[in-house]
Amino acid sequence: MIVEVERVSKEFARGEQRVLAVDDVSLTVAEGEFVTIVGPSGCGKSTLLHLLGGFLEASSGTMRVDGNVVTRPGPDRGMMFQDLALFPWRTVSGNVGWALEVQGRPAAERVQVTDRYLQLVGLRSFKNAFPHELSGGMKQRVALARVLAFDPAVLLMDEPFGSLDAQTRELMQEELQRIWATTRKTVLFVTHDIDEAVYLGDRVIVFTARPGRIKADLAIDLPRPRPIELKKSPAFFEHRNRVWDLLREEVLRARDEESA
Amino acid sequence: MRRAAEGLAIPVAVLAVWEALSATGVLPRYVSRPSAVGAELSQLVGSGDVVQHAAVSLYRSMAGLAIGALSGVVLGLLSGSIRAFAVFFDPLVSFTNPVPKIAILPVLIVWFGITDTSKIVLIAITTFYPCFIAAYAGVRQVQPAWIWAARNMGARADQVFRKVIVPAASPHILGGLRIALALAFILMFASEAIGTAHRAGLGYLVIFAESGGRHDLMLAAITAIGLLGFAADRLLLLVARRVLRWQPEVFRA
Amino acid sequence: MRRTLLRVAWRASSVALVLALWEGVARSGLVNPRLFPSLATIGTEFVSLFTTGIIWEHLGATLVRVAGGFSAAAAAGILLGFVMARFVVFGRLFEPFFSATYPVPRVAVYPIFVLAFGLGHLSKIALVFLECLYPIAINTYYGTRAVDRQYVWASQNMGASPRQVFWKVVIPAAAPHIFAGLRIALPVALVIAVITEMIGATEGIGYLVAYAAASLSRAQVFAGVLVIAIVGFVLDRGITFARDRLIFWERPSVAIG
Repeated sequence: MIVEVERVSKEFARGEQRVLAVDDVSLTVAEGEFVTIVGPSGCGKSTLLHLLGGFLEASSGTMRVDGNVVTRPGPDRGMMFQDLALFPWRTVSGNVGWALEVQGRPAAERVQVTDRYLQLVGLRSFKNAFPHELSGGMKQRVALARVLAFDPAVLLMDEPFGSLDAQTRELMQEELQRIWATTRKTVLFVTHDIDEAVYLGDRVIVFTARPGRIKADLAIDLPRPRPIELKKSPAFFEHRNRVWDLLREEVLRARDEESA
Repeated sequence: MRRAAEGLAIPVAVLAVWEALSATGVLPRYVSRPSAVGAELSQLVGSGDVVQHAAVSLYRSMAGLAIGALSGVVLGLLSGSIRAFAVFFDPLVSFTNPVPKIAILPVLIVWFGITDTSKIVLIAITTFYPCFIAAYAGVRQVQPAWIWAARNMGARADQVFRKVIVPAASPHILGGLRIALALAFILMFASEAIGTAHRAGLGYLVIFAESGGRHDLMLAAITAIGLLGFAADRLLLLVARRVLRWQPEVFRA
Repeated sequence: MRRTLLRVAWRASSVALVLALWEGVARSGLVNPRLFPSLATIGTEFVSLFTTGIIWEHLGATLVRVAGGFSAAAAAGILLGFVMARFVVFGRLFEPFFSATYPVPRVAVYPIFVLAFGLGHLSKIALVFLECLYPIAINTYYGTRAVDRQYVWASQNMGASPRQVFWKVVIPAAAPHIFAGLRIALPVALVIAVITEMIGATEGIGYLVAYAAASLSRAQVFAGVLVIAIVGFVLDRGITFARDRLIFWERPSVAIG
């Protein structure tokens, strides 16, 4: 088991109030598994990712990645942020090679690695462009190349396709699936989109409404590789509907809580 | 470049009308013909006089600007990043910011006399503010996701500061520098017009010319100041465009 | 209420520290007390400015110039900004002009204004007007141009006439930017007024301070500077207050810095 989350809770203080975002969550992820996490808005799934990334401290419980306890951010757990966080003042290749730069790798090596990953995401000809010159989908691919370039043991992806239009989104899902097949990284992928979760994941974890707990952990036994047409198959629908039914309860619960 | 040319359309038009009106004798005596002013100015440049005065003025203003800008930017960056600095400097700057810094000049004259020092100190203090404020604001608007991404990729604290915070704040900082530059020129003129010991400087020249009734010279000196201010700003914009070429939109005033 | 007071006290502590330092240096005997008066001396002089009534004539003169120049610039600048935004010709003509001449120190033309208008109010009001025009016109222009077309379309959809669209949609939508311009211009007005009074005037706080410096009444210099500082502070708080009241739908103004 490469990722171990043991009874982790996270409480936030908002002024006078205390908000429990994550409540006693435990899960394990095996090496090479692609695990997706779905849940209603505000259920703490992003928080869990931030905890694993070491950006936030857990209120209780422990997390281990590859045997090491998680205490701070580090390149062993590569994070792809919701708003991408590309550095606008660096070119595409500057962004992709950034981790290698701060780790002090020699220039020749950086160029080699950067080129390789840009090739993988199909953006090699844009290496000297600045982020503001790129479309949404292209920025996504740069962010993906960036997080792969420093070869983290685990990939944490926080709704990476959230801001894309539906068509680009589908294309990116297929891209990601293809790239993942070649690298076989361990991935934790948070999303709102049920179809996306089922299409991409070996396992789908359903979170409850806040405070976030694990409601269900479903194995998705669809065959790999998964072309995008798989989304039209009955087997896919079966999985998808199961997830939706579980999720629906939680979405309604979350909505009721909001209006309360 | 085109925009600079467009910007000069109105002044050029005004100059043309002015020249024409001067010929008719309609304008008051102190509003010399532009051509006369131009002649006077080129004569001054030729004789090296104006260059000397300009050099003194520029020395004072640029020295003051360098001190003020450097300290302002550095302290602003530090205050934006480190709580301890912010706690000390932020209230000081906030309270004293609305105070017109020119008011300090008489105090400085009391302490240092009518010397270059009092002018340089005045300009340094005045230019400190926009640079501090801009650098501070620049750091505060750095997106947390950038810092997290940098730490995720293994950057140390000093690397985060150098490679993320400073570049991310640079548009704000350059905006502050632009304001500081304009202020430096204003105070250069003001401090020289109020009093100067060595009888040098473009501001001094304006007052000297005016009191001696030499209006051509007065206007020539004013023009020289204007041109210097304009040129300095263009230079800064050139540097800014290069440094900020990753931005989608270029600077506005 | 208590929390705000605590917050203000906390922030004032570093200012208090600096003041304490000043007092320490002044009393230590390290520097000539005439050059570095203690806060007490400054305070006494400050009070006497008011009790003897010297200050009122000068303060009044300065405020007249600030108010006159600023309000004229506000009226003309906002109007000009609107015209620039509405009629492309004006925009293309004036915007590059403002942008290019922005760094030119317009104070340098003050001697010309003195020749034209004399040493009294008018020359100073004219310069204040000229200086304040820039930020107000530019901000109004950009603010008006930036008004989301969808606001305008929505109001037209609901049957508003062009006049109503202007007064009920464009002006409120551009108001934050316009106020930003006003907020920049007001301290400029004070600075320019003081500068012109120091260069050439017969009354005004700037004149008072410069005169005091020249006649070696050093404590009065410091007291006069304190008056200017207070005026600047009050003006700033005043416009912040006005802005937060009039533009209530946006976040309250942040303290600078």
